[in-house]
Amino acid sequence: MNVLDRIETELRGRLGAGLERTESPGPARLFVDVERSALRAAAKALIGLGGRYMVGIGTDEIARKGTLGLIHTFAFDADHAAVVLRTAAPAADPVFDSITPDIPSAGWSEREYQDLLGMRCTGHPKPKRLILADDWPDGVYPLRKEVPHDLEPPAAEDVAYRLDEAPPGTTVVPIGPFHVSLHEPEHFAVYVDGETIKGCDYRGFMTHRGIEKLCQTQVSYNEVPFVAERICGICGSVHACCYAQAVEAAAGIRVPRRAEYIRTVMLEIERLHSHLLWLGIAGHLIGFDTVFMQAWRVREKVMWLSERITGNRKTYGMILIGGVRRDIGPEVRADIEGVLASLEKEVLTLKNAVIGDGAIHRRTKGVGYLSKEETARWSLIGPVARARGLRLDTRKDHPYAAYDDMTFDVPVVDSGDVWGTLVVRVLEIFESIAILRQALAKMPEGPLMADMPEALPPLRHAVSMVEAPRGESVHYVITGEENRPERWRVRAPTYPNLQAVPAMLLDNQFADFPIILGQIDPCFSCTDRVAVVDARSGARRVLGRAELERMSRRERGKE
Amino acid sequence: MSVVAVFVNVLLFLLLAPLFEGVMRKITARVQSRQGPPVVQPYFDLLKLLGKDRVDSARNWAFRLAPPAAFASILAVAALVPLGSKVNALGARVDAITLVYLLTLGGVSVLLGALASRNTFAAIGASREMVTMVMVEPVLAMTLLVGAARGHSLGLGAAVFGASAAGYGLSTAVMLAAYAVALQAFVAKQPFDIPEAEIEVLEGPFIEYSGPDYALFRWYMMMKQMVYAWLFAAGFLPFLRTGSYVGDLLTQLLGTLLVFVAIALVGSTNPRLRIDQAVKIYAGLIAVALVAVGLAVAGL
Repeated sequence: MNVLDRIETELRGRLGAGLERTESPGPARLFVDVERSALRAAAKALIGLGGRYMVGIGTDEIARKGTLGLIHTFAFDADHAAVVLRTAAPAADPVFDSITPDIPSAGWSEREYQDLLGMRCTGHPKPKRLILADDWPDGVYPLRKEVPHDLEPPAAEDVAYRLDEAPPGTTVVPIGPFHVSLHEPEHFAVYVDGETIKGCDYRGFMTHRGIEKLCQTQVSYNEVPFVAERICGICGSVHACCYAQAVEAAAGIRVPRRAEYIRTVMLEIERLHSHLLWLGIAGHLIGFDTVFMQAWRVREKVMWLSERITGNRKTYGMILIGGVRRDIGPEVRADIEGVLASLEKEVLTLKNAVIGDGAIHRRTKGVGYLSKEETARWSLIGPVARARGLRLDTRKDHPYAAYDDMTFDVPVVDSGDVWGTLVVRVLEIFESIAILRQALAKMPEGPLMADMPEALPPLRHAVSMVEAPRGESVHYVITGEENRPERWRVRAPTYPNLQAVPAMLLDNQFADFPIILGQIDPCFSCTDRVAVVDARSGARRVLGRAELERMSRRERGKE
Repeated sequence: MSVVAVFVNVLLFLLLAPLFEGVMRKITARVQSRQGPPVVQPYFDLLKLLGKDRVDSARNWAFRLAPPAAFASILAVAALVPLGSKVNALGARVDAITLVYLLTLGGVSVLLGALASRNTFAAIGASREMVTMVMVEPVLAMTLLVGAARGHSLGLGAAVFGASAAGYGLSTAVMLAAYAVALQAFVAKQPFDIPEAEIEVLEGPFIEYSGPDYALFRWYMMMKQMVYAWLFAAGFLPFLRTGSYVGDLLTQLLGTLLVFVAIALVGSTNPRLRIDQAVKIYAGLIAVALVAVGLAVAGL
């Protein structure tokens, strides 16, 4: 029996009348519509069946049905399939049962739609604001269709995010909004006892750009890939590809094989770039700038190569719905092979230097430890999960582009710490080189673009996954009627991984904060604050807003 | 003549310390496949900082006092050390304990400034600095003690040169090993640049300082590094001695330069340790240094 049939039968058995309808548009996707009262039970059942929570999507269906829709997506990695759980509630009463008590990584998705669509998730353990600015007016939900994309509500004075209560006997160390170990504005309140971290609260989304809203209201289908590439400066092609795949799946477009090969080449070049960049930053975060500089010197070759292929050092602009924009000709192919050969030699030297360095072992082994069970419970992905014994790789589990034709290893270690993450990412560089060589050798001739229909069918749903260098990216698309997506939801790998950072920080040394956060290679622009708390002498000192502002030297006179 | 030597000392320390810093930066850059700043860059940095407005961000006397106090204490150290194997007019009136006292006074000034700035990161940096001082300064004191025991005097000349003046003994070798490791902590370079760790605590004790105040701290740090590097060259490299003042001056400065090269190489090939890891190493150093003192007292 097919795994999706089995899941459907199980759900039917457990939910009874709560299950409204199912559809399976392809061999690897199952869409299940449930009553909202059955949502939590259905989500729990899917996790029980071996599902991994990916992301939640909120939709505004007020104009058409008078409802707000809530969609949860689950991956069944071992079975190469994904299940989408859909439900809706009347706009006048948009209340859902929270699934976060059962699935911790759903916490942010639910908070996101409380903020953006005005939903309420009863039973949520931490229903604080997540995305909207602290001075955003109550009752204005920006993702609802009635709210224009360029709405600018007046700024309010004297509103501040309330940090979580600090554990007794701890001091708050504010990491952010601006701090050298963060490369984007974020605020972590780290609660420390001496130098030991006892807790942490996060306030982010400070540079939320409303890209989803923009693309649902202002631009057209084929402009979105270029906006998508700008979600992230490192994994641009991942987002463009993931979006294109979702639209293609929804509209039933078959991409020519050569285009899929070229997508594979671009995605792997991007991975090479990202792994070298991260290795450099990891070196910098533990105070080893020689690793930083050498890794980035090697990375320069990859950037040169990208420019040779696409004209751009980053943000390649190669991917469109239905195919790719540029071909890879024989001269460029020779250049790629040349760079790969020199890269392989340099990375081998780098690998031996880094992996054999006892001082690096001291700074990374046992740091940021999370058990395999906790890693699965938090739905972690990418190198962070593979360093904790979980064999998860979208390229193998849910093949896309030309990965089904590629032979490669997925390095997995079970040390569960920063060291493991480092090993996994370094080893993956060699796998990427191998994939690139195969892709060039096996690349078939053929067109670069599919024949596109005049208009894409509206209101079709599709979910697509792409393995970004940091982990899996998920895009969910509902096709629209005005030559643009009706709904486009982006979930970058940092989104689930960042949610588990407080768990990884617990009982570690404050000096390890940068590398523990850094190991997930956080991309705040993809997702979008830490204060530190001191328990010595039993005195508790929480730095409040006034003190934080005084520290920031802005309003000393006023306070 | 020995009064002139005081001025020569002060001038050489003031003017050469930034140059040595520049050399270290250049070597680090070469290890990292970078071009690196010109070797005179630290002079430009100091000039730039000295030309800026003062920002008194903490508004209390301790915060304002700390940079000049640290600078004054290191100037005093520079004035009295026996540079060029010559105990000068000032050096003859003090002993090794004064030297340790003045060097510690500089560290205490940094702590004072850090705590007075009432910044969380400065406070973390200060607590790390305090641990480092308590754990590493004894190695300095014991180095001088080994010299004093072998030279049979607490005078500066005996304390600095005594360890190797009459050839190498077992105690000299043991002390040299301990001092060589501690050197990296004395000069706050990797793997022991823990109190200032930019990426963790944003230069720690110095976070609130800018402009001329920060220039004084930077200059203080450079001169302090030079004192410790010179002490290694003077104390443990007896073959640098020529017998003449000018000759010794030149060979000791050359030795100092070589020590700086070594510091830069070690610094650029090691990641930073955590304070809990460093403390274990420091404790080991104290034990080794104690053994050296014991051996020296026993005449070995």
